[in-house]
Amino acid sequence: MSDLLRAPAETKYAEELDWLESVDDQPKPFSWRLSPKMVRLFILGSEPSDGLDRRISQKWYGDRSFVERSIVTLASDRGLLLIGDPGTGKSWLAELLAAAISRNSTLVVQGTAGTTEDHIKYSWNVSMVIAKGQSRESMIPSPIMTAMETGSIGRIEELTRSTSDVQDALISILSEKYISVPELDSEGIVFAKPGFSVIATANSRDRGVNDLSSALKRRFNFVRIPVVTNRRSEAEIVRFRTEELLSRHQLDLEVPPTLLDVLLQSFADLRASAAAAGSDDEKLESALSSAEQIGVLEDAILHSNFFGERALTARTLASSLVGSLARREPEDLAILNTYLHGVVEPRSREEGGCWPEFLEGGRDAIATLS
Amino acid sequence: MSGVLIGPDGEDPFEAGAFAGLRAQLQAAAATFADAASADGPGTLEGILLGMVDDVDRATREPLEIFPVCHHSPASALAMARRLREKQPKVVYLELCEDMAPLLTELRNCRLPVAVQAFATEVSGFPAEWSPLSVVAPLTEASAEYQAIAYALDTPGVELVLVDRSSDHVFQWDARARTAPEEPAGPDAPPAEEEAALHGDAVGVKIGDLRPRFAELEEHLLRHGKVRHWSEWWHQYVELPLGSSDHDTYRQVMLLVGSLFRRLAPGDTHRVRVDEDRERYMWTRMREHLTASGADPRDCLYVCGAFHAASRVEEFGVHGSGAFEIAPRTATKWQHGLIPSSHAAIEAQFSLAAGSVSIAATLWAKNLRRTGVKPFRLAGQAGTKKTSKAKTGRQEPAASPTAVPADRLTGFLQHPPALDRLDEEELLGWSVEIVRAARRNGYLASTADAIAVFETSILLARMRDRAKPTPYDFQDAAVTCIEKDTVPGRRDVRRLVEIMLGGDRIGQVGYDALPPLARDVHDRLAPLNLALQRRGVQRALLDIASRPELAACSDVLWMLRRLMPQGTARPIMGERKLGARSTQESWDLALGTHQRALIELGYEGVSIEQVLEQRLRRTAYGPQATAATVLEAVEDAALYLGGGRLADELGRHALVVLSTERTVDGAPDVLRRVRRLLAYYRTSEPVLPSWVEAFTKAGYAHYCALLPTAFADEDAGVRQVAATLGFLFGMESLALSLGCDRTQLELAVAQSHPLGPEKTALLWAAQSHLGRLPLTELRSRCEELLASPLTLPAYPRWLSGFVQALEPVPALAGFVVEAVSNAFARLPDPVLLPWLPTLITSLRAEGSELAPLLIREAGRIFPGRLAALDAWVPPWREETAAGPDLPGADEGGGRGGALLAAYPVACDAVAELLGCDGQWAAVGSGARDGAVLAGRYPATAEAWEAVLTGA
Repeated sequence: MSDLLRAPAETKYAEELDWLESVDDQPKPFSWRLSPKMVRLFILGSEPSDGLDRRISQKWYGDRSFVERSIVTLASDRGLLLIGDPGTGKSWLAELLAAAISRNSTLVVQGTAGTTEDHIKYSWNVSMVIAKGQSRESMIPSPIMTAMETGSIGRIEELTRSTSDVQDALISILSEKYISVPELDSEGIVFAKPGFSVIATANSRDRGVNDLSSALKRRFNFVRIPVVTNRRSEAEIVRFRTEELLSRHQLDLEVPPTLLDVLLQSFADLRASAAAAGSDDEKLESALSSAEQIGVLEDAILHSNFFGERALTARTLASSLVGSLARREPEDLAILNTYLHGVVEPRSREEGGCWPEFLEGGRDAIATLS
Repeated sequence: MSGVLIGPDGEDPFEAGAFAGLRAQLQAAAATFADAASADGPGTLEGILLGMVDDVDRATREPLEIFPVCHHSPASALAMARRLREKQPKVVYLELCEDMAPLLTELRNCRLPVAVQAFATEVSGFPAEWSPLSVVAPLTEASAEYQAIAYALDTPGVELVLVDRSSDHVFQWDARARTAPEEPAGPDAPPAEEEAALHGDAVGVKIGDLRPRFAELEEHLLRHGKVRHWSEWWHQYVELPLGSSDHDTYRQVMLLVGSLFRRLAPGDTHRVRVDEDRERYMWTRMREHLTASGADPRDCLYVCGAFHAASRVEEFGVHGSGAFEIAPRTATKWQHGLIPSSHAAIEAQFSLAAGSVSIAATLWAKNLRRTGVKPFRLAGQAGTKKTSKAKTGRQEPAASPTAVPADRLTGFLQHPPALDRLDEEELLGWSVEIVRAARRNGYLASTADAIAVFETSILLARMRDRAKPTPYDFQDAAVTCIEKDTVPGRRDVRRLVEIMLGGDRIGQVGYDALPPLARDVHDRLAPLNLALQRRGVQRALLDIASRPELAACSDVLWMLRRLMPQGTARPIMGERKLGARSTQESWDLALGTHQRALIELGYEGVSIEQVLEQRLRRTAYGPQATAATVLEAVEDAALYLGGGRLADELGRHALVVLSTERTVDGAPDVLRRVRRLLAYYRTSEPVLPSWVEAFTKAGYAHYCALLPTAFADEDAGVRQVAATLGFLFGMESLALSLGCDRTQLELAVAQSHPLGPEKTALLWAAQSHLGRLPLTELRSRCEELLASPLTLPAYPRWLSGFVQALEPVPALAGFVVEAVSNAFARLPDPVLLPWLPTLITSLRAEGSELAPLLIREAGRIFPGRLAALDAWVPPWREETAAGPDLPGADEGGGRGGALLAAYPVACDAVAELLGCDGQWAAVGSGARDGAVLAGRYPATAEAWEAVLTGA
């Protein structure tokens, strides 16, 4: 167990990656550490029919063609832009890809309204510049520049949150594959080594904030990651992440499968109601993504562990669901209230099980918040 | 070909069979894997594996050659074409509903894909709510069944026998299981595009249904095949390897696949039973035919889905046992026809991936070029290139006594997957083409994208273990490289690739294959000189004034507009109403697009007039019919069929229906339609039809009787009551002339005691119309309503009642304008402003037809110019200012006055009681009118005096 709160994928799965690298005998593009097929195997997990000596766990759940298209894009000379609703696993996929391909997923620039061109290119260590003048030594390369120099994958999170001048700076990096440093006379140009590429993520709900220019769009291949609505895959994702969480916190808490069903069902119901809603006021502000679901469960688990009876109950789950999803008052609370009384109440009468307790917990939580 | 000869009795001389080697290998494999994996005992896996070989063995030994196919599979079609040329069978048995046989010859008049349809509207023996029943069997050119049909129909001396259950049995067997009929229609979601809906909601039957029967197997195959959907898997793992294989390999592999899916099917008892019954049915029919015709089984070919070829029913085989009883058909009357189909419709109906049938068609064409196999094509087949006739003379079959072929499976199964070599030219072409298509559809795509698509396709294919990108790999690559965050046009890249790689093809049924009604319609529209068979919208211009013969076309078009789905015939200019015809018309016609609807119309009758008459009758005599719907039918009969006998009959029926109605719900419609019909008959006929007179009389009495109830009934709306009154007042003169009595109406109004303000307003209006309530009284009542703060909030409801009253009493328009104006003038702003929306909504909701009348009247009353407004006094104010001439205001005049004067005691007593201290004026003390005049104009009197006295 690593002593980091959250280890990057290449550290966390270092042993798996080492092993895969050792058995990988297929051609690798550029300076890739794994061949494309092995990258896919690392992300989507192995099957008995792959004929490997050990099992590789599945780390990302979704349509396999998305992964294949992403890998192939990185092998071509275009950048990869993962676009989708919040919580669909875009950043996780980006991290896994970077970890598998270049064993470094930490060359990340976070796109914000405050991101400047310096974050994409380079900046200067001012005191060193005063002491020694402008040189390669006093220059602070950005993560992207580092990725170029080492021929690895650079990542940009939330590309559409950053302003257009930052986006424009990317265009030349993606097409010419070098950054010129006019302040330096010699070594004034930093060229990218083979293997360099960029994975950016963008939130489809942010469309219109800082729209990408067509020039930049051309340099990216878009892979749209949809919200997982398949019940089985969703259950797998939630289970996978919960196990991870439990092991991280070293908790010996059991999540009863019936409660997992309750969680999945309630999200499915709320999604259906959001799909039927006519206006934004009639649907929850939350995107109801799988990440949101995991957040609810995580919250409930931690709550029961530290404040409860060290066992997850439907009541805790309900209150954490209400607590996580009620963001606007009164709209979200009203929707949750309607949901509890219109859907959960009849169901708890008909099906029983965990539902009556879930209903009660939800009611209490709403009463507390109102 | 290589093979093992069999003896004349069909017995295999080699008892061990051709598959002994394969069996031994499989047995060993089963023993190896069973221990590790199976919890069901070691026998299960072995049973399945050896069972599959048994199935293949059994089918290949059958003296009647079984030809397993898969639907819309070019490999099947190619193998079929090859086999037919080689074997030249004399009888072809085909797995297709046997009742569809007579239609197949009509295929030559059509452009494929079309679907053979069995259709029934009058059901008997099935639940009525299933109606209409429809079964379709789509046929494409790239299919084995079309090859078999084309061969059999165009080769002299060859008989084609359809052996599958009839359309009737499709539903019979479905009814056995249960319940809703939509289940066999497949789980496909409602198709979004028009082309995908070409089959309507018909139940699809297909030849050679071959697909895993349970989701886990399919998922497993897809996962390991690294493909996205079933069509792609089939293309990759069966279609391509079998594309150029020989007949024996093809047959054995298909049998094996069929057997695999059959043995790994879950035990859905109903489905298994239907499948097995179909096999029993087909074998029973084939044996019957063999016995009857005396044909040699070795000269025959049985074309069926690979799934059915691996059958294990007792009846299987020429020498099969078991006596399957074929149940008689129900009394349902089935009609048959060909309807146009499309690749998209087939994909939607059978849950295939979008574009898969188009890709199959492209592959078929490519395979033909590659292998040089000459396909069979029906002579005169529309939509295909003229080639030398498929079959002119009967060639001698290759010397091929039926043989039990050697084991081809072992080789096939051991052979590594055949890798198609990269066709760089083709892929480059595709890449360039898709970029062009994307640009045309608004994408910012450039040559750089074409390069990226090319590169990505190859990378993706390699990643999926294939040397040559499949169309699906290419599609993925194109989406990756070209699709951005938004779709600029109507189609996204995925769809563009589908269109590019073949695109949807829409079939067409030729003129000769159309039912009589459809042909009749085309014949009658021939003077328009339009290619009506063509898909798309065409504009027709009819100048009837200069070409009177076009009037008949116009009649047909109006009827089509009434009978066909929206958009088939749409008038752009010109209208047809009762008693009015246009001399120039212009139409948008899309008969080709709606060919299926026209063909289905043809199942109902031989001419559109007949169908229309039937439909009108059905509506009028249906259990849901109301007087209004029957009158609508009468109107349609008069409008489209020229009235006459049918209109009279329906009119008389309207009377019957009206007399059974117990509410006035339909009154507005009845009133509207009767007025229209009356106006029409008055202008076009010398005398009114007897039913109109009878209807007026009966309606008058009927509505008089219902009026008091309608006023009191809370469920009856104001509009309905207003329309009832409208009927009574509007038809009054006619009804009275026919012998009705007005007292009946007066009594009915007198008996009415409404509760709500709207209806009370209506009643007042009615009383005013009947002379029971003078306008002044009405006015003062309204004044009171406005004056009292308690009744004020309800004033809009009164107004709404008055507006509705314009329908029966249009003369009240002036008064209603006054009432509305008063409301605006008198109400203070705090009351008026919140009230305005209510007023507007109530006027809008209930008075939309009457508002014009109101506005016209207001326009008449209010001044037209701004300058005139200052000096303007509303007419009702003028009347009030002038003061009414009240009768009896003279000095104690009238009968009452005389009586008081004659008996003053009673009055004195009352006055004393009340403490009044008055004096009696002398009767007649006042000057009479004449005396006043004489006082005012003395000259006349003086002249008279002079005359009389002679002074």
